[in-house]
Amino acid sequence: MSELTEKKPESTEEPMKEDDTSLTPSKFLHTILGRPVSVSLSTSTEYKGILSCLDGYMNIAMEQCEEYEGGQLKSKFGDVFIRGNNVMYIATEKKMK
Amino acid sequence: MATKVMPLELIDKCIGSRLWVIMKNSKELVGTLRGFDDYVNMVLDDVTEYKIVDGVTEKVQLEQILLNGNNVAVLVPGGDPEKA
Repeated sequence: MSELTEKKPESTEEPMKEDDTSLTPSKFLHTILGRPVSVSLSTSTEYKGILSCLDGYMNIAMEQCEEYEGGQLKSKFGDVFIRGNNVMYIATEKKMK
Repeated sequence: MATKVMPLELIDKCIGSRLWVIMKNSKELVGTLRGFDDYVNMVLDDVTEYKIVDGVTEKVQLEQILLNGNNVAVLVPGGDPEKA
């Protein structure tokens, strides 16, 4: 699979051929802009806030951000930037249908 | 000759069904797979996260997540940590 090595690591651009029914990571990123999200880092620190901007590396900018450690609120920030390599997952509530 | 099954094809077959994800850092997640990419970043629905903190398993419910593939170790299609 030589084409794998040519791509940037950790990008969520769509290299695979996908059918329309699957929600790929890059499609998902487009749907969650402006929504309240919870971002969990691999250090198990969690950040909750309004997602203002993100990219294919999972670099994230958030507003009205609250920092939680072990479920305890540690601090609040107006704006934060999180470098994508630290992100374990981005969680949202499902869109109202 | 036996037909080859590529790993990503196997994951593609799991789309729409429950998937047990075991991470490198003693965390596990179970959710319905919605999609993934070449890095095995995954979109999962109706997720239960199992964190093992000091030998005690802590459960967290999440509606929909984008999981970074970087820390993924093992995928078990249809698996459930509570039955294993």
